Amino acid sequence: MRRSTPGVKILQYVILVIATIFALYPVWFAILASGRAGGRLYTFNLLGMFIPVEWTWENYRVMLLGGQPFLQWMRNSLFIAGVTTVVCIVVATSAAFAFSRFRFKGREAGLIFLLAIQAFPGVLALVPQAQLLTAIGLYKNPWGLVIAYTSFTLVFCTWNLKGYFDTIPIDLEEAGMIDGCGPIQSFLLIGLPLARPALAVTGLFAFMTGWGEYALASVIIPAPDSAKTLMVGMYKIANEINIPWGYFAAGAVMVIIPVLLVFLYLQRYLESGLTLGGVKG
Amino acid sequence: MVGWSGRRKALTILLFIAPTLIGILIFSVYPILYNTFISFTNRGMYHPNPDCTQTLTSIFEPSCWPMFRARAPKGIGQPYTVQTPFYGNYAALVGKLFTKESMVALLFVLIALLPLWGARRLNQHYDRQLTRPVSSFVVWLGGIIGVILLAWVLKLPQQFAVLMKAGDFFVVTIRTILYVAICIPLFFIVGLTLALILNSSDLRGRTAFRVIMVVPWAASTVAIMMSLVWQFFFREQGTINQLLKLIGVQGPAWLNNSTLAFAVIVLANVWYTYPFFMTVILGALQSIPPEQYEAAEVDGANWWDKLTKITLPLLRPAVLPATVLSSITTFQMFGTVWAITQGRPSMGAGVPGATELVMVYAYKQIFQTNAYGRMGAYAVIMFVFLFIATLYSLRVTRITKGAYE
Repeated sequence: MRRSTPGVKILQYVILVIATIFALYPVWFAILASGRAGGRLYTFNLLGMFIPVEWTWENYRVMLLGGQPFLQWMRNSLFIAGVTTVVCIVVATSAAFAFSRFRFKGREAGLIFLLAIQAFPGVLALVPQAQLLTAIGLYKNPWGLVIAYTSFTLVFCTWNLKGYFDTIPIDLEEAGMIDGCGPIQSFLLIGLPLARPALAVTGLFAFMTGWGEYALASVIIPAPDSAKTLMVGMYKIANEINIPWGYFAAGAVMVIIPVLLVFLYLQRYLESGLTLGGVKG
Repeated sequence: MVGWSGRRKALTILLFIAPTLIGILIFSVYPILYNTFISFTNRGMYHPNPDCTQTLTSIFEPSCWPMFRARAPKGIGQPYTVQTPFYGNYAALVGKLFTKESMVALLFVLIALLPLWGARRLNQHYDRQLTRPVSSFVVWLGGIIGVILLAWVLKLPQQFAVLMKAGDFFVVTIRTILYVAICIPLFFIVGLTLALILNSSDLRGRTAFRVIMVVPWAASTVAIMMSLVWQFFFREQGTINQLLKLIGVQGPAWLNNSTLAFAVIVLANVWYTYPFFMTVILGALQSIPPEQYEAAEVDGANWWDKLTKITLPLLRPAVLPATVLSSITTFQMFGTVWAITQGRPSMGAGVPGATELVMVYAYKQIFQTNAYGRMGAYAVIMFVFLFIATLYSLRVTRITKGAYE
């Protein structure tokens, strides 16, 4: 394509370096705080804001081994987010398949409806959602959260998958049908394997929703301590009288790291798998 | 798809869509209906409990449904009832808008925005011609200058002041619209700049930079933690001010100044959201065939021509849906703002704080004053507004068209 002149090259790197600092520094700051003794998030030691002048594993030790049921929270959240991901992918794939491959009355209206319904402010929907889950007896039950999170992410998942399915040439599946597959079978055997990037990205977002949601979880599973999800547990730490920021930061770093690793692993799928609107050539 | 039709097809489609439909109906549509009902009642601190003997309540309140009756809350407070007049909550929120003074102010504001609409129509007109006398950029610039001129002639700040007096509702709504209008272009500009750089094939360390740039996205899972970090950067003794002190400048108290605090929540939101835009744009950039640029270069186009005449138009279909979605989420921004400023700095007693966006305001009202009924009305107004905006933008972007139409 274009070859850049040295001046442009330098400008590009200057922008990239600034952007790198902008992107990484807040996370780096949290990592530094997690290794600081004394339970403070903040430091007035200027150097300590940029490099680890003091480093201790004490915060991590306390979070993992002493006092806090951090590992239990992590297990609860892993369960909820994991099941949400699986359920969401199955449900959204079937809907996205129908929206992409079938022509039926109300198809377009249905898609618009899905998106427009998102315009309702989430914070304000909390009260009825919590009441509903309580009424059907899913109060203090992780499955209640799984059901709720699945429907939270359904719109995004359906749209994203539908967009990607649209980019897979239907001829491939038709060839399969000539060879004797039914429409569904040919889709499962031919279309779905081609949609791997979109499935990966969709799954990632479903997982992140379950992993990071706080408001509903705090209403549905407020107690006991060991049944809480990660976010609710972390908030609890952040709301103690003398906030042990060091513990909090150590916990936050351990919450980010798994997501970050999954993100990095799925990085190659991100650009191709994110197809809102199905406009790829 | 070929091969089948009739009852069997309809049944299959239903089977495929049913789980999604049920989930959406229960967790999205039902809360909307419920909120609409509550918005007509006086539910609040003094009337918290349902009265299942009332027909409407027994329909909307899940704990009143026969199968769940056993779990109905039995508190001591008064049961809530439908208000008389039933639109009481709405009148309290937006009633003052319907005075002569406010209507005139609103009219002036709308008139001041006319040049933008004119610019859009003019651009559409030029698009239909074979050649355009001026580029679309110039037309938009003219529109913006027109708005500024009209704003000056019509004394717009004064009109806004009149509107603000019509209630908290307008204060927070206008402020939130301003927030969205500032955030979205920033998302786009930062995302586009980085995507363009990272898309150049002869860049060393391209993969590494791509990975680094999406870190904020992954970190947004623990938005509360990262927002507290952002808050610390801008505290009076925070990182920024300590750095400023090194070069001999006394930094301002960022979070106590209404304008600066607003800028801080914009910046934090840009940090969270630019990776999304960057990724969407990168994906779209890769689907632009390089021949287009080669052909343009043969015709003597410089990089600005290539950007405005090839890249941007071809990015449009991918960026618009992302913009629509981000506009909705930014409009409903809550967690980040709550963690950084909690709506502060205060603008006086009984008035929303300088960074109190609509959701922050609603959250405070619901969970601090328990004004469920009032906030139900608030939610319904917000919903109607965003719903119309979404439908309009869908029509403009045409993203519901399938790949084979």
